[in-house]
Amino acid sequence: MNCAECRDNFIACAEGLLERQDELQCQAHLETCAQCRAEYEAVASLQRRLIARGQAAAGVSLVQTVMRRVQREQFTPERETIMSKLFRNRWGWGLGTAAGAAAIVAVILLTTPKAQARALEIMSKGAQAVAKLTSIHLRGQLRSAPQDNFSAIMPECDFVSIELWKQFEPALKWRVDKPGRTAVMDGQSTLLFIKPDFGYKVPQASPSAFDTQWLHEIANLSQTLESEINAIKARGWPVTLADEQGADGKSKSVISVEAKSGLGAGDYLHNKFFSTADTRHEYVFDNQSELLESVKVYLHAASGDQLVFKLDEIDCNPAIDPAVFQLQLPANVSMGGPMQVLPDNQKYVAMTSEQAARALFDACGREDWTEAAKFFNPLPDSMKQYLGGLQVVSIGTHFSASNGAELVPYEIKLKNGQVKKFTLSLKRDRSTSRWFFDGGI
Amino acid sequence: MDLTDKEYVERCRDGHQEDFSLLVDRYQKPLFSYLAARVGNFAQAEEAAQESFVRAFLSLKKLRKPESFYSWLLGIAGRVAQEQFRSDLRRRQIHEAAETMMTSAADADEEYPLEEAIAVLPENHRQVILLRYYEGLSCQEVATRLAMPLGTVTKTLSRAFLLLRQDLQARERAEQTVNLNEQP
Repeated sequence: MNCAECRDNFIACAEGLLERQDELQCQAHLETCAQCRAEYEAVASLQRRLIARGQAAAGVSLVQTVMRRVQREQFTPERETIMSKLFRNRWGWGLGTAAGAAAIVAVILLTTPKAQARALEIMSKGAQAVAKLTSIHLRGQLRSAPQDNFSAIMPECDFVSIELWKQFEPALKWRVDKPGRTAVMDGQSTLLFIKPDFGYKVPQASPSAFDTQWLHEIANLSQTLESEINAIKARGWPVTLADEQGADGKSKSVISVEAKSGLGAGDYLHNKFFSTADTRHEYVFDNQSELLESVKVYLHAASGDQLVFKLDEIDCNPAIDPAVFQLQLPANVSMGGPMQVLPDNQKYVAMTSEQAARALFDACGREDWTEAAKFFNPLPDSMKQYLGGLQVVSIGTHFSASNGAELVPYEIKLKNGQVKKFTLSLKRDRSTSRWFFDGGI
Repeated sequence: MDLTDKEYVERCRDGHQEDFSLLVDRYQKPLFSYLAARVGNFAQAEEAAQESFVRAFLSLKKLRKPESFYSWLLGIAGRVAQEQFRSDLRRRQIHEAAETMMTSAADADEEYPLEEAIAVLPENHRQVILLRYYEGLSCQEVATRLAMPLGTVTKTLSRAFLLLRQDLQARERAEQTVNLNEQP
């Protein structure tokens, strides 16, 4: 072994990766060459330093602590928060465990600057009243399909229940439930389950995930109110204050905030998700306790305002059963995870979104699930049963969405004869650059 | 899935704030090592690391080169460490402060330039170094994690070692020059 060959093997040698024969040859060369010996010692010395540095930090675990602080401190005026989104989106909120008691019998609407200042003061006091929560449980109603995205707004649908349990201390854990979809973060990892057989696991303890961010922001009541106040002051969001008498005879303050999503009416995502909708938020505060009692969100649509979310129950600092943060998946669940680079990955990288849509549907038509699985993450049996044997009627020209997806209009005929005409959402996976199915079937 | 720093930063800016936890996970250990070497106290290093990450998150929109996230984070951490030290001075009595300064100086090691040198490595080199030595993965586990052949991992490590040694030698030379200039 000469000097160059020996030096090429330094790292493999130091890492114990060399075959025995190569290692002996390397050692023999080092014994006879002072320059290479000195060079190897420098490499080994650096390796020892790196190992020592890593060992010193072995027990460090900052993720949860940092993310809790991030959640608590991210509400400067220029920063986008749930509440600012809500305001932008003109939601109507009315918080409170006694939302049902908000049958208002008398209303005095105030829009003067003085009234707006008072609205801010009420919100500020409401924020102080719920500072330092250790846990929270929210239960509300959302117009959405049971299995669809947690953030999706579907005005044409009936209300379905949506719940959030969140433990802030001692360790951050949370769970969000809709009738057909559950997301759980147990302090170690984050899991999504969509009935009947779709699962996806993220190996990190995410403070929010799977489009639940808007609900988490509501759960951080104090921060939410504070950040809304900041947004109102900094951006001049229109605010109105109404003094009302509730059905319980008590005096209430109803604060409405109007907000725009910033998306044009022609944007495909406009009014489809909480983050992309024009809404009005309504908060109802009890003037005696200063507590927020209820929240409602109204969607501004061409046909008029429509209530799309109402928070029925806010339980601060409840004792949460640890079992809430555990999720046992059925045995037939297909689990998704990081996509893998394929041997012929480049072939799929080179596809346009229309070509990917065509390839995805054609594979389903042939029931070639190995090929189809290259576009799904994961591909559960329920999807195979639904799409198997389909015929492609047409694939349209794609258009881009504001969330980075490409949307491909399609028309397919399913095996049962049903014709489906919709828009397929495809995104490129960041690690493999391949298109994957993101929705629309 | 392992994205690049730039991609994580861009996702955070796009509203996927939860992805910041993945950047914390990626850099918590080297950042802690860097701060521990600077302040000479593990508890203070952990506190400073938390503060650094939070400030980084809150200033993410100001980061002009997302691919340089880690270098930028170290810069923030350096300022946090300085502030922490000054704050300690204000809090304590003068004699206690003097004692702390002496203790810190004695406990702190000279290794923190190692993390600075790691910060300016090309991203693929840096990831291999961090996974192998700070996350404690074997070379084979690094290869699996990054979906690359084992030979590519060892070649990347070789190149990273070469760059680190060059950087550290340059820092030592600069330090020696400063020391010479400071002599009366």
